[in-house]
Amino acid sequence: MTKDSDYISKRKFMEELGRYRKGSITRRHFLNVTGLGAATAVMGAAMPGLRPSPAFAGGNIGDRVVIATWPNYHDPSNFEAFTEATGAHVQVNVFGSNEEMLAKLQAGASGWDVYVPTNYTISTYVDEGLIEPLDTSKLSNYDASAFDARYAEAGSVDGTLYAVPKNWGSTGMAVNTAHNGGKPISSWKEFFDISRDKFSGRAMVHDYQLTTIGSALNYFGYSFNSVDEAELADAEKLLIDVKPHLFAITSDYQPSMRNGDAWLTICWSGDGKQLNTDMPEIHYVLGAEGGEIWSDYYAIPKNAPHKDAAYALINFLMDPTVNTKEVLAHGYPTADARTFALLPDDLKNDPILFPAQELLSPLEFGAAATLTDPNRAELMARFKSA
Amino acid sequence: MRLYAVCVYLFLYIPIGVIALFSFNAGRHASQLQGFSTKWYGKVLSNPFVMDALETSLMVAFTSALLASVFGTMAAVALQGIKGPLRTAFDLLIYVAVMIPGIVIGIATLIGLVTVFDQLNPLMAAIWPDGFVAPKLHMGMGSLIGAHTMFLMALVVIIVRARLAGMDRALTEASSDLYATPMGTFWQVTLPLIFPAILAGFLLSFTFSFDDFIIAFFVAGSETTLPIYVFASIRRGVTPEINAIGTMVLVVSLMALITAQLLLQRGGKKAK
Amino acid sequence: MTQRTRNWLLLAPAGTWFLVMLIIPLSVVLIFSFGERAPAGGVVPAFTFEQYANLPARWTAFKNTMTLAPIGTLSALLIAYPLAYFLAVKVDPKWRTILLVLVIVPFWTSILIRSYAWIFLLGGRGIPALLEWFGIEGVRLINTPFAVLIGIIYGYLPLMVFPIYVSLDKLDKRLLEASSDLGAKPWRTFLQITLPLSIPGIATGCMLVFILLMGEYLIPAMLGGGKVFFVGNALVDLFLQSRNWAYGSAVAVTLVVVMLITVTIYMRLINRLGANRDDVSIM
Repeated sequence: MTKDSDYISKRKFMEELGRYRKGSITRRHFLNVTGLGAATAVMGAAMPGLRPSPAFAGGNIGDRVVIATWPNYHDPSNFEAFTEATGAHVQVNVFGSNEEMLAKLQAGASGWDVYVPTNYTISTYVDEGLIEPLDTSKLSNYDASAFDARYAEAGSVDGTLYAVPKNWGSTGMAVNTAHNGGKPISSWKEFFDISRDKFSGRAMVHDYQLTTIGSALNYFGYSFNSVDEAELADAEKLLIDVKPHLFAITSDYQPSMRNGDAWLTICWSGDGKQLNTDMPEIHYVLGAEGGEIWSDYYAIPKNAPHKDAAYALINFLMDPTVNTKEVLAHGYPTADARTFALLPDDLKNDPILFPAQELLSPLEFGAAATLTDPNRAELMARFKSA
Repeated sequence: MRLYAVCVYLFLYIPIGVIALFSFNAGRHASQLQGFSTKWYGKVLSNPFVMDALETSLMVAFTSALLASVFGTMAAVALQGIKGPLRTAFDLLIYVAVMIPGIVIGIATLIGLVTVFDQLNPLMAAIWPDGFVAPKLHMGMGSLIGAHTMFLMALVVIIVRARLAGMDRALTEASSDLYATPMGTFWQVTLPLIFPAILAGFLLSFTFSFDDFIIAFFVAGSETTLPIYVFASIRRGVTPEINAIGTMVLVVSLMALITAQLLLQRGGKKAK
Repeated sequence: MTQRTRNWLLLAPAGTWFLVMLIIPLSVVLIFSFGERAPAGGVVPAFTFEQYANLPARWTAFKNTMTLAPIGTLSALLIAYPLAYFLAVKVDPKWRTILLVLVIVPFWTSILIRSYAWIFLLGGRGIPALLEWFGIEGVRLINTPFAVLIGIIYGYLPLMVFPIYVSLDKLDKRLLEASSDLGAKPWRTFLQITLPLSIPGIATGCMLVFILLMGEYLIPAMLGGGKVFFVGNALVDLFLQSRNWAYGSAVAVTLVVVMLITVTIYMRLINRLGANRDDVSIM
């Protein structure tokens, strides 16, 4: 759609009306082209939220964009600002696991424009032909040199850029110390032991094989990424033994931690930060045996229906000032030096966002094989159905 | 006895009350009341995703219910006059279609159609004339309407057949004795008699389709129906927006029902 | 046009629809259930019984479904019957329609939203908090089989009330009067007249609820906290998490077979009961 859509001849109007009636164009297109959209908008101005779409510097990108992401991972006001600036509403679809995202994309059209895969999944998406190479000319706010390579390298496969870094973080545990005499816990061994004892009925694990099985492997001192059959068998035994004592198996654990139903959970660092900020008695700790360090990326699926809007949204979210607001809201560190510079000092020194190096060093990045290993998937299913 | 009834009604309505109460919550967390506000209603009405989802849901429900009523009635009428293997086959299909859980319909449709499409798409691309883009079959509104219509059709056949069975045979026989054509008999005698059943089948089908989550979850492709939207929002951590949607759907259906009731009553009085 | 051609034409749309949307998809599921999982998900054609041999791995899911579905059906029946009886026999006809409508109205809000309301009611700040106020502490409801049961009863109650109401409504009230005139105690009247006559309604209601429960996914997913696992949940996981189409197909086929067997036996039993009743009434 062009900018001169404000002016429209009578004949053109009748033509468009005819096309609309025949159904060859959508109502939205019709309203936009004929300027009736503006008229509707004026009427709607009386009601907040029904305001028209202001022009966006990047041209008209349509009125919507769909992002598939993780729970509690954005500042909602940023999406509102994006809508304000571009006229495109943001629909947020939340997922509990990378497998689920992969399954949805594999099963055909997902309708997403932007999604947020984790480091170890990107090569699989490339192999399956489900991900779009990125055109950096449309991402003026992306500056490759500003990113710490550790958290950016998985975005490129064979020299082609498919994904740009969003945030990184760790997978640890959140514990409500008020129920443990003010003491936090410090290892996965303690996590699974206390779950079967003092915290029976109060602990949660993720509905996600990678982290739940990974943590159980850590309990025995095995690698988070292990696909070794004997080690997995140990992890399974532990998980099945713990299951009757669990409060829930869920990746959306914040509500139950907040309302006091649950006291302990496997937790991503940003959720830990959010919980700790609102309820200081909830501590976020890394397991002494190790655990996961990860990096999430923004990417565009191959069949994205609104690609222009997708680029606009990613670009918007990569703006350091916008990204700073994101970090303040979700509490995940960014690999972007420009954003880091804008953070308040207490966050730069925050032990949850930026743990000391000796705590980070036992952590492992997840591996592609960990995600796609059929034995781990089956183990998780047996655990859930046990 | 009356006390018991009151208790059951309380059980039925307390959750509805909670939904409605929280739809007026000023705060964004769904578990704490933080003052009164109607802003969530404004947000719902101005959210294009909700409106699109509603449009999709209405469209799917209406189309499926209509197709199911027409084809289901046709089949029910035909089955009335048939015996033998064809009748047995249809009875079996209807039995299976009604008996199979929605989740299996969803999964079967998904993997069945995806497999068939994977075979058909290259074939179509190969035989299509050069210079034209061959259409590509994919999951979407078509597959959703297809799956809904399938099991709703079975439902309509059952409802209409029950009515046909209860119908007085003498009427159709009298009609043909009076030299009415079979078509004439159908339009003038049978149809008016079974019409209430068809209408009931249509309304029931519409409701089932409008409320279905599990089939749509698998076969809707990139389309979003209202229940799919609600499901996604619940996982995102609900804002009172969801409560507002639920309350509005409830109020609108109540109003539709009251209107229908009033119209029926007035019609009834006139007839007298 | 002969009668025969006309019937064929009338059946053609429904037949085609069943072929494309029922027979073909179910056949694909059946074929896939003998296949093997492809490395990245999906299915590799094969002929193996491996998937079926692996079924015990989902035994708990079948066990949960086969326990909670009948318990849920029975609980819904026990709660619905007195209400249906009240509506059909006791209540002032003036109020009957409105009271009936009030039973269906909750059905029009999405089951998702209704279950969501129960997450709040059963969670720590809902009923348990209320009980604590009365001095009963440490009650946990959410994420238990009990929570799932509540959700089930709540979700399917109207489906049970209606058929029972219809069959009780048909019942000739003079029979009840005659019975009490002859000096029968009320509960004897109920056992010997009302209950037997309402059996068709009970049968329909139970079957409707039971069928829906066997494929249930949402209620356990929302109110069971991922811990109460039905076959429906196992299926969703197999297709949307582990992407194991072959095994998922085998589980789906098994579920359908189990259902067809259960429901067929159930219908036989009901028909026999019905036949007995006819004998009684002839006497």
